[in-house]
Amino acid sequence: MGSCNPVTGGAGRCTICGAPPVIRMREPDRHLCAAHLIEDVEGRALRTISERELVKPHDRIAVAFSGGKDSTALLVILSRLLPSWDGVSLVAITVDEGIAGYRDDTIRAAEGVTKKLGIEHVCVSFADLIGENLDTLLAGRETQACSVCGILRRKALSVAAHQAGATKIATGHNLDDEAQSVLMNTLRGDLPRLVRTSDADSLDCFIPRIKPLADIAEKEIAAYLFVQDLFPFLPECPYTRYALRREVRSMLSSLEQKHPGTMRNLIRSKRAIEKQVDRREISESLRRCRQCGDPCSGELCQVCMLRKSLGK
Amino acid sequence: MKIIFPDSTTETIEGEPVSVGWILHLRGINPSEVIVSRNGKLVPEDVVAGGDDEIRIIRIAHGG
Repeated sequence: MGSCNPVTGGAGRCTICGAPPVIRMREPDRHLCAAHLIEDVEGRALRTISERELVKPHDRIAVAFSGGKDSTALLVILSRLLPSWDGVSLVAITVDEGIAGYRDDTIRAAEGVTKKLGIEHVCVSFADLIGENLDTLLAGRETQACSVCGILRRKALSVAAHQAGATKIATGHNLDDEAQSVLMNTLRGDLPRLVRTSDADSLDCFIPRIKPLADIAEKEIAAYLFVQDLFPFLPECPYTRYALRREVRSMLSSLEQKHPGTMRNLIRSKRAIEKQVDRREISESLRRCRQCGDPCSGELCQVCMLRKSLGK
Repeated sequence: MKIIFPDSTTETIEGEPVSVGWILHLRGINPSEVIVSRNGKLVPEDVVAGGDDEIRIIRIAHGG
């Protein structure tokens, strides 16, 4: 932000075709018009999918679809790539946590998008999963919102994906999310989580998770949707104010603005560490939860531990 | 020029045209956290705005 000038610029044109630009990309420095932004974003998502072999013929991909911008972009991009894949199908899964004043709007948005794209849509709720909605579960313990919600959301998504016959779960994690996770895991000193990878190589008992947008910045995703009139104007989750991620996001986006490439460098560091570390040595071996039988690393899985702590 | 902020509040400013980046800078808004439209069309931060332009600043990070 520091290098701003009151009237600098204004003469930029799309670096590729000379049309009026909609975005300035920093890595490498270039301007793109709407058409070339769309081409660039979809091309990078396809490259990520191809290079990491995220999609195989006849995969049934469950798309974790909140109705927010990242999962909307993911669903749009996958639906456009679908005809080029042999026998691949999509199902969108929306998890209704039961957050008053927030989730109803996003579910309506999700229903509108899946209808428009002609994609099968399944909705699963915390009430179905655990008998309570998130607001009720969190009464008096709001500061734990993101960890409680994250555990239950993963479980709900996993159950719905199994029921839908999915072979992959695709999530809308973008470059910013990935960089934030690296920094958060570092700040927590959580090496096993830092080097954990989910790129379609998960253990046999889990449905592999894929992140086709992991190379695309959050701002590029927002712009990609906006220029196609697909940007979802939705309320902010009321619990984000309690999240460490919010502080990390703010810190990292400031650093990225001053020092372009910071987020990519963080992710590069994580990959370098991954190569040096034997994950079997630092991770606990996989066991079965003695309560529900789900795979886990301790005696109880996270959901059963949560149930216990909540007295459920 | 009219500026519409993410919380829907508005501000009208007079004077010489300025870059969108400068508008964000003066208000302490990180360009990485927003997209900006001028008269309904998305624009990069180095585009200049003034006169009767309507600038809308849209926050992109929502969580959830």
